[in-house]
Amino acid sequence: MAEKAILFDSTKCMACRACQVACKQWNELNGEKTSNRGSYENPPDLGGTTWVKIGFREVERQGNVTWLFVRRACMHCTDAGCVRVCPNGTLFHNEWGAVAYNKDTCTGCGYCVEGCPFSVPGLDGNRVTGIGKMGKCSFCTTPGLDRIAQGWAPACVKTCPSEALQYGDRDKLVAEGKQRVAALKAKGYSNAYLYGDKELQGLHVLYVLDDSPRVYGLPVNPRIPAATLAWQNVIQPLGWALGGLTIIGLGLNYLVAREAKLTRELPGKKEE
Amino acid sequence: MQQEVERYRKPTRVLHWVHTSAFIILFLTGLILFIPPLAILAQDSWTRLLHRIAAVVFVGGPLIYMLMNWKAAWKGVKEAFTWGAEDIGWLQAAPRYYFLCDEGAMPPQPHMNTGQKLWWLMVVVFSVLFFISGFIMWPLKTVAPSALLQWMAFIHDVAFIATGTMFFVHIYLSVIHPLMRPLHTGAWSSMARGKVSAEYAKSHHSKWYEEISKAP
Repeated sequence: MAEKAILFDSTKCMACRACQVACKQWNELNGEKTSNRGSYENPPDLGGTTWVKIGFREVERQGNVTWLFVRRACMHCTDAGCVRVCPNGTLFHNEWGAVAYNKDTCTGCGYCVEGCPFSVPGLDGNRVTGIGKMGKCSFCTTPGLDRIAQGWAPACVKTCPSEALQYGDRDKLVAEGKQRVAALKAKGYSNAYLYGDKELQGLHVLYVLDDSPRVYGLPVNPRIPAATLAWQNVIQPLGWALGGLTIIGLGLNYLVAREAKLTRELPGKKEE
Repeated sequence: MQQEVERYRKPTRVLHWVHTSAFIILFLTGLILFIPPLAILAQDSWTRLLHRIAAVVFVGGPLIYMLMNWKAAWKGVKEAFTWGAEDIGWLQAAPRYYFLCDEGAMPPQPHMNTGQKLWWLMVVVFSVLFFISGFIMWPLKTVAPSALLQWMAFIHDVAFIATGTMFFVHIYLSVIHPLMRPLHTGAWSSMARGKVSAEYAKSHHSKWYEEISKAP
């Protein structure tokens, strides 16, 4: 199955936030009550029930303030930190290359929250009991609300009035993104960049940026931290190896020692 | 009726079994995260709740014991950190002793032999590590930085592997090893009833037996 992707063109986004509304509506996510923090940007952050939001950034360019808008949501990484740390396979790559998850099996451990280089997953639950569920963009593949399997675009893309969001086969969108970046460079945006083409072996959300990722608050060359890699690559196998060897060793010891004790007891009794 | 000596007082034995029960619950609810097919049992967080309840007992039990028996607690902790040349004697004799059941090979032992002390030291050190890393991952989960939380999970996992494997060794050497049978003679008796026969104390912990025989 061809890998799918979403292409976000920052130069076309007008921050209407229709994508935020469409996402909440389609995925049946509750709204949050928030307060005015002196910005049109709202709600304050992604979370278990806020899967996409537009960030508002005020940046100085040649003495003038420029208002930049940047989409924030799950990047659906190919090398995904959350998938690497999820202890029971709740998070997985689906047939489209996106990072989907099974909400029923989520234990609420929050390892994915800590393992995500983009700080995307949100954990809703009780901090005292530890009972909770993770929530993040499912690329509109939540069972029962699956748009992709129907051949439809994700809700955010479908609603986007300025076509800042596009949906399609990933390789086609990469080509499209490269063309747009080339066009931006021709216009004088020398730092224009297609984010997501190479990052973490390829994201399934691509960003056409008219400046470097840093200006948009995106991590330059994101990496999976060593502690994230340790769980499946070191800790789990090490635990199994040491646990297994110990039990085998004890079993062998038992066989040897029982034999030794028996042979020792026979002549020992005669001596007494 | 043969003569018996007291090896562990009642508060110590109660603490041992309370700590053990908490550890087993913590062990099992943690272990399922190491077995992906079984990890499905952890869904909807109920094992997390159980883990936290057991964690309170695991930490609270020793704390209450320390408050009520601070002298014994201090003596016990000191014992865990007292190591000397004679411990090498145990290590050298251990293979002959445990594989060939050669009881004559073992030099005289104090109240705790080196193997027991090793496990006891692990219990002390890793309980503290479990507590620190667990505390950061529970009440401090929302305020601690991601990287710190990930390393705390790492420490928790390493402590789990170390104590989890040695836990089996502890059970094995206490009640399963051929030299530990029948059960009423040694380790089991000392932790279940608190007493061992004078005969056993003399043969297995002769240095300790001398000490308590001298005392009035």
